[in-house]
Amino acid sequence: MLPEPGDLPVTSPSPEADENTAAAQPSVPAPEREPFWGYLDLALVLGLLIAVVLLAATAQAGTRGSKVTTITLSGWSSGPDEDALLQQVVNNFNKSHPSIHVDYAVINGDYGTSMTARFAAHNPPDVFYVDSSVAGLWAQQGVLEPLNSYIKSSKYDTSKFFPSLLGAFTVGKTIYGFPKDWSPLAMEINKGMLGQAGGKTPTNWASLLKVAQTMASKDVTHGGKPICLSPDWARMLAFVYQAGGSLSNITSPAAAAAVNFYVGLMNKGLATTPDKLGSGWCGEALGKGKAAIIFEGNWVLPYMKSTYPNVQYGVFPMVKDKTGGNLAFTVSYSLAKDSNNKQAAWTLLSWLTGKQGMTQWVSKGLALPSRSDVKAIGGRQAFLSAAPYAHGWGFGNPHFSAAYTVMNNDLTAVIAGSKSVAAMLADVASALKG
Amino acid sequence: MATASQAAPAPRASMLGARLREAGWGYAFVAVPIVVFGLFFVYPFGYAIYISFLHWGILGKQPGSAGTFNYHAVLNDPIFHIALKNIAEYTIGVVPLEMALGLSLALVINQKIRGRNLFRSAFYFPSIASSVAITTIMLYIFNSDGLFNHIIGSRTPWFQSAGTAIWSIVGLNAWTTSGTVMIYYLAGLQAISTDVYEAAALDNTGAWRTFWKITFPLLRPAHFFVLVVFGIGALKLFDQAFIVGGGGGGPNNATQTPVLYIYRDAFTGADFGKAAAAGVILFVIIFVLTFVQRLTVGRQEAA
Repeated sequence: MLPEPGDLPVTSPSPEADENTAAAQPSVPAPEREPFWGYLDLALVLGLLIAVVLLAATAQAGTRGSKVTTITLSGWSSGPDEDALLQQVVNNFNKSHPSIHVDYAVINGDYGTSMTARFAAHNPPDVFYVDSSVAGLWAQQGVLEPLNSYIKSSKYDTSKFFPSLLGAFTVGKTIYGFPKDWSPLAMEINKGMLGQAGGKTPTNWASLLKVAQTMASKDVTHGGKPICLSPDWARMLAFVYQAGGSLSNITSPAAAAAVNFYVGLMNKGLATTPDKLGSGWCGEALGKGKAAIIFEGNWVLPYMKSTYPNVQYGVFPMVKDKTGGNLAFTVSYSLAKDSNNKQAAWTLLSWLTGKQGMTQWVSKGLALPSRSDVKAIGGRQAFLSAAPYAHGWGFGNPHFSAAYTVMNNDLTAVIAGSKSVAAMLADVASALKG
Repeated sequence: MATASQAAPAPRASMLGARLREAGWGYAFVAVPIVVFGLFFVYPFGYAIYISFLHWGILGKQPGSAGTFNYHAVLNDPIFHIALKNIAEYTIGVVPLEMALGLSLALVINQKIRGRNLFRSAFYFPSIASSVAITTIMLYIFNSDGLFNHIIGSRTPWFQSAGTAIWSIVGLNAWTTSGTVMIYYLAGLQAISTDVYEAAALDNTGAWRTFWKITFPLLRPAHFFVLVVFGIGALKLFDQAFIVGGGGGGPNNATQTPVLYIYRDAFTGADFGKAAAAGVILFVIIFVLTFVQRLTVGRQEAA
C-alpha cells in the first residue's frame, strides 16, 4: 500500500515555532526591532531547554543516588485484569525488596517483533515473558541468559516445577527461563445441549463421535454444529498425542490417524471451524450457542464469565484415544543476556516464579500454577488433571515458530480438501528441521 | 538570479563567482534530501545486500561462510513462489480497477455539479482513513454472518476462504485507493486545454466519442504516473494481507505476499539474511517491471 497523505505524521507546531510567530507580529510595524526580539526569543527558548535538561538530570540523580537498582519487567498485555494483577504483584515485590525497584512496562503491539528489535538494539527489558513456542529460537539466537549458574549459586530448587513445563524452556541441560504459569486444553460443553443429547460426557474419540452424531440429528445448536474445531495445530496436536503420535515423529501412522479423525469430524458435518460459525474463535461459538463442544484452555473461563455469563457449560478433561494427550501452553520469565543488572533481575525472576510470587499471581484464577507446591483456585481440576499428559508447546525447537505458520497454512488446505494429509505431514516434518 | 544579471557588465571573474555562489546554494539545498536519502535508503539498502550473503540472526552475524545460499533458499521455496503468484494476480486485478474507479470519480468531480466539494471529500475519505482500521471493519462486514452476506444471502467467509481472500483484498484496496487515483486524474483533466473541447463541440462530437478520442488519450501522462506508482504500491502489499491472514499468510497461503514473506522470515524465523535476500529479489522484480513500463508506456508519453 502506498503512503498516503493521511498516513503522514502530522507535525504539531513546536513551542519554539509558536514563540517565533508571536515575536514576528510586533515586528511588522517596526521592522528595525526584529533582530532584538529574535535574539531574546532564542535566548528564552535556549534557557528553557537548559532548565528542562538540568531538571531532568537532577531528577535522575535523585533516584540513582539512594543505591536502588532499577530493572525493567516486560510482557504483553493479556487484558486489564491481568495487567492490574501483575502490577499488584510487582508492587509487593518492590515493598519487600527496598534495594530493587521494578518498572513494569507492558509491550503493546506485536510482542515478538518488538522484542526482536529490542534484542537487536542490545536494549531489552531485564526480565520478560517468553512464550514456549519461541523459547527454542531465542535460546539459539543467544538473547536469553542461561540460568544454570544462578540456580547453582543460590541453591534454587527447580524440582517443584512441572517437568514438562520447565522442559519447554530447557535446551539440552541449559535452562533459559522458569514457567510463570500455564494452561493445557480441556473440553468445554454446553450443559443444556449435552442434556438434550443424553447427558453423557464423552471421554474418548468413540463416545465423542457418538454424542456429536446425536447432537447433529437433534440439531441442538439450531443451525450451528455440535463441535467447533480451530484450524490450528495448537489444538489438533493434542489429538495426535492421544493417538500415540508425537511431533518429533509426525509422519507416523498415528499422527495421520489423528488428523483424519480431526478433519473427518468436519467432513462428516459434525464439526466446523469458528469462521463458519460467525465467530472469531471457538469460545465465541460456545458463547453464541453455535457449537456445543469446544477444546480450549483456561483462558475460556474469564472470557465466558465476562462475555457470556448466562451460558451454562461444564469443563471436562480432554478425550482420550490410545492414551491421554494434551498440550501445555506456557510462558516463562527469562533474563536478558544484555541486562546490566542480572543479579537484581535474577532476584525478581526467582521471586516471581517462587512459591510466594506465584501464589499471589494465581490467586484470582486467571492463570494456573506451574509449581506443584502452589494450589490453583477451585474449578480447575479438569485442567490440572492434564498435567501428566501435557507436552510443552514449542518443544525447544528453534524452527518451531517459523514451522507453526506452515503447519496452520497446510491445515487450512487439508480442511479445504486441496492438500492430502500425507503431504501436510511431510511439509511439517521438513519445516521443523528448518 | 538578480545579482547575476546585475553583474553581467562586470568582469568575467565575478560572474563566475556569482555562478559558483548560486551553484553552492543549490548544492546546499540538495544536500539535505541527499543526506536523508543516503542515511535512510542507500545505506540500509547496501547493508541489506551485504547481509543477504551471510547467516544473520537477531544479534547480527552468525558463524558460517558467506555465499548465495540465502538466494537459493528463497528461490527454491514453494511458499515464495506462491507469494509471487498471489502478488501478480493481485496487481493485475487491482491496478486497472483502481484506474477505472479513480478516472470515473475524477470525471464526475470535474463536472460543474451541485455539491461537488462534498463528493470530492467523500470520495477521498477512504484514502485518509487508516488502512488497518478499514480492513478490520471489512473483516466484520464480510464475515460469514456479516452484513454483506445478509444482503446477498450467502454464507461465504470472504476473507477467510482461500479462493476469495486475495480478491476481497483487491476489492477493498481498489475502493480505498480510488480517491488518491482520482486526485491525480483530476490534475490531469484540468491540465487539458479547453480549446480541444471547444473544437470538438463545434464539430458536434458526442460525449462518448469526446472521451475516447480526446480526454482518454490526452490523459496519458496521468495514466503512466498512476500505473507506475500504484503498480509498485500493489507489488508491496503488506498491511491488509497481514491483518486478513493473521500474520501468517493464511488461509492456505492465499494472502501470502513477498513483503509478508520478508517480514515473517525476519521476525518469526529470525533469519535476517534470508529476509534480506528476498528483499533484494523483490527489488529486482519491481525495478525490472518499472523499467519495462518506462520503455513501453513511458516512451509514448515522451513522444
